[in-house]
Amino acid sequence: MRTHDVVVVGAGLAGMRAAIAAHEAGVDVALVTKLHPVRSHSGAAQGGINAALGNETEDSTDNHTFDTVKGADYIGDQDAIEILCQRAPLEIYQLEHWGAVFSRQEDSGKIAQRPFGGAGFPRTCYAADLTGLVILHTLYTVCVKYDIPTYEEWFVTDLVTDDDGHAVGVVAYDMIHGTIETIGAKAVVMATGGAGRVYRPSTNAHASTGDAMGMALRKGVPLKDMEFMQFHPTTLAANGVLVTEGARGEGGYLLNKDGDRFMTKYAPNKLELASRDVVSRAEATEIMEGRGIDGCVMLDLRHLGRDRIMERLPQIRELAIAFAGTDPIVEPIPIRPGAHYHMGGVHVDNWGAAPHMPGLFAAGECSCVSVHGANRLGGNSLLEAVVFGARAGEASAAYVQEHSAAPKVPSNAAADTQARIENLLSRDKGIRQFEIRDELAGVMQEKVGVYRSGPVLGEAKRTVTELRERFQSVVVDDKGKTFNTDLIHTLETGFLLDLADCMVTGAIARTESRGAHSRTDFTERDDENWMKHTLSYLDDGEVRLDYSEVAMTKYEPQVRSY
Amino acid sequence: MPATTFRIFRYQPDSSETESYHQDFQLEHGEKTTLLDAILRIQNEQDGTVAVRYSCRSAICGSCACKANGKTVLACMMQVEHVKTDSGQEIVQVDPIGNFTPIKDLVVDMTPFWDKFKAVKPFLIPDGPAPEKERLVPKAAMEKIAKESKCILCAACYSECNSLAADPEFVGPAAFAWGYRFAADERDGQRKNRAKLYSGEHGVWDCTRCMFCNERCPKGVDPRDAIEKLGSIAFQEKVTSDKGARHAKAFLISLRTGGKLNEILIAPYTDPIGAPFNAPLALRMAQKGKLPKSPLTHRVKDRDQVKKLIKNVKETI
Repeated sequence: MRTHDVVVVGAGLAGMRAAIAAHEAGVDVALVTKLHPVRSHSGAAQGGINAALGNETEDSTDNHTFDTVKGADYIGDQDAIEILCQRAPLEIYQLEHWGAVFSRQEDSGKIAQRPFGGAGFPRTCYAADLTGLVILHTLYTVCVKYDIPTYEEWFVTDLVTDDDGHAVGVVAYDMIHGTIETIGAKAVVMATGGAGRVYRPSTNAHASTGDAMGMALRKGVPLKDMEFMQFHPTTLAANGVLVTEGARGEGGYLLNKDGDRFMTKYAPNKLELASRDVVSRAEATEIMEGRGIDGCVMLDLRHLGRDRIMERLPQIRELAIAFAGTDPIVEPIPIRPGAHYHMGGVHVDNWGAAPHMPGLFAAGECSCVSVHGANRLGGNSLLEAVVFGARAGEASAAYVQEHSAAPKVPSNAAADTQARIENLLSRDKGIRQFEIRDELAGVMQEKVGVYRSGPVLGEAKRTVTELRERFQSVVVDDKGKTFNTDLIHTLETGFLLDLADCMVTGAIARTESRGAHSRTDFTERDDENWMKHTLSYLDDGEVRLDYSEVAMTKYEPQVRSY
Repeated sequence: MPATTFRIFRYQPDSSETESYHQDFQLEHGEKTTLLDAILRIQNEQDGTVAVRYSCRSAICGSCACKANGKTVLACMMQVEHVKTDSGQEIVQVDPIGNFTPIKDLVVDMTPFWDKFKAVKPFLIPDGPAPEKERLVPKAAMEKIAKESKCILCAACYSECNSLAADPEFVGPAAFAWGYRFAADERDGQRKNRAKLYSGEHGVWDCTRCMFCNERCPKGVDPRDAIEKLGSIAFQEKVTSDKGARHAKAFLISLRTGGKLNEILIAPYTDPIGAPFNAPLALRMAQKGKLPKSPLTHRVKDRDQVKKLIKNVKETI
């Protein structure tokens, strides 16, 4: 059996940052990813990463903290948000020192910063509209330099625990060689990214199936705030591909079919740069009330001019031409809200440690610290990934140094998974995974979308329950050992179903409107009853809810307007 | 609704059929359906054993490069109807990327690609300790490496590289684009060492300049241009003992002195030791009239113009 001190599952921003931190702390750390590290979905992040560097105007970490607390609609943990914002400049400088190719100011040569939604100051560092790619590559180059062992195209199927319920490794399917192996570890850091594929359309990659959340949930670890799914205001109609908030940060307008800048109605001060939940609701309202065009509104960049578009938003132009047949230099881009970022995730503390399972850590989108609360600000997700990735890496290394005994890895872990998979592959008749996934994504989009209501959520719950039953007879077409993507999609679909159930169940219970969770039957925020985090458990296949406190430091909840 | 026959390369190592073959699938699809969506629909609706790498479906993760009617594309970025119009063919044949060994269907063994990427030392090696804040870098200096920073390592260039087809050890376009990205980064302190590392056997001078990498790169990285710029860096750093560099230098000397190429002098300058062994070949060429009669070639009249041109070119690098 292979063993390492720390095993990090997922090699996007959070995972690689965690591995680098653990390596620098002197422990033996390995990365395991179902893709190759540079294929991770962090690379699709476009617009930027926030830090109060104050390069453009005066700014402070307090300003950043307040904007994030307000953006979260007051359900983010304020102590965690302070950590996020205080460490932000240090992480940006670190990335720069490692070689990140940030865009620069004309005269000073400092890192340039652009305005972003929900932020009081231009605070978003960027590399044109390829910020995620540049940072992902930077971290990968550091992993190459440190020669961190990386299990590429190993699909992790299970989290392994010992008799005391401590995390002691993972079981994974080596896709190239077709074997199932246990990787033992003294600590496990989960960083597999979001679960955006619960929805369709979604800005997320096909691989964003929330695997870590699914695995943790099945081992009794609760997931936090699962009902909060962010809908990004600007996604391409054809396939849900993201158009960066940077497009509005650079000055883009949102127009309805009458050519009106409708955000003047919904957010008279911040207009297009209100927080994402506000802008997405505004768009959904315009479209519902008949002022859209073919289910879309328009993102107009023409007044920015060719040079600015080519310099700051080259990828957006390329994607709009490829997928919408629209050149934003000459015409507006049809866009609509689409599922984008999941605020919920594995319940962890400010060090990324799971209080319910010693030895388990999580970071990035699959985790919930919580710094994003009910709505994440643009530019804060890459930041969370590096800050809490680094902290989870440091904390896991410290944990390993304190618990130096060899992990007691159950000897049958891989064999159990092997038997389960062989059983699955032996089935000849049944429903294919994609049929279930398609129906699930459809019902989530239609019934658990930008606007929600009790009765409709109830319908969604019934469909999800029924799909979970039908999944019991799922059949895998491909019976081979090598690169069996049909098998992987089937296992992912199992995770998606569990996660969708948590999302719907949490949404039904939360009888208020807060951030991205907007109920037409409970339109107000209800601080008296709902200033709390939702925790979801899976008990014998049934989702059970519990709640935990929100950490407050110095920001009293206020009415939230932009 | 258009209907298309997809002729997909199959190689199923776990089946009784151990040779590769092509299999036809018929699919009705939308006007704008991408090649990737078509393959995934085939995988879902017709044959779950079809294997392909993919993830983001927005041309940024670099997973899904493959050949469509012989031309390397990102499957997620290319519409089926465009493949048909571009190639003038009704059938869309899908093959794995070239210069790789298939593992299963469209999935190839990328190990050599990643090994070569790692071989160019793709990480910043600065001189001295970092400042407290960010290093100050002129905007223009960062923009100089902006194009190469867009490389998504999809291997479309590698797939089409003729130098690789001839020499599997050739480092390849993508890795060199990354090499340039670091060599030209003014924060990096290894410019000369990088120039040495990227020269020599299988190095930048072994590129055949066929330009296919520039042509096929889906992100406009222009790897051939990066290779050329690495050549210039080698000259600037006086890393010129390499045969390839000497060959380039012989061109330059010949242009400077005579205003045009003197092929007879280029060979011995490029490879003073090896060239005499080619004398029999030279003789045969001379007999067939393939060589100029005298090593003292005709000089162009207005050599100042040529010098000006050389100067202009130098200034643009």
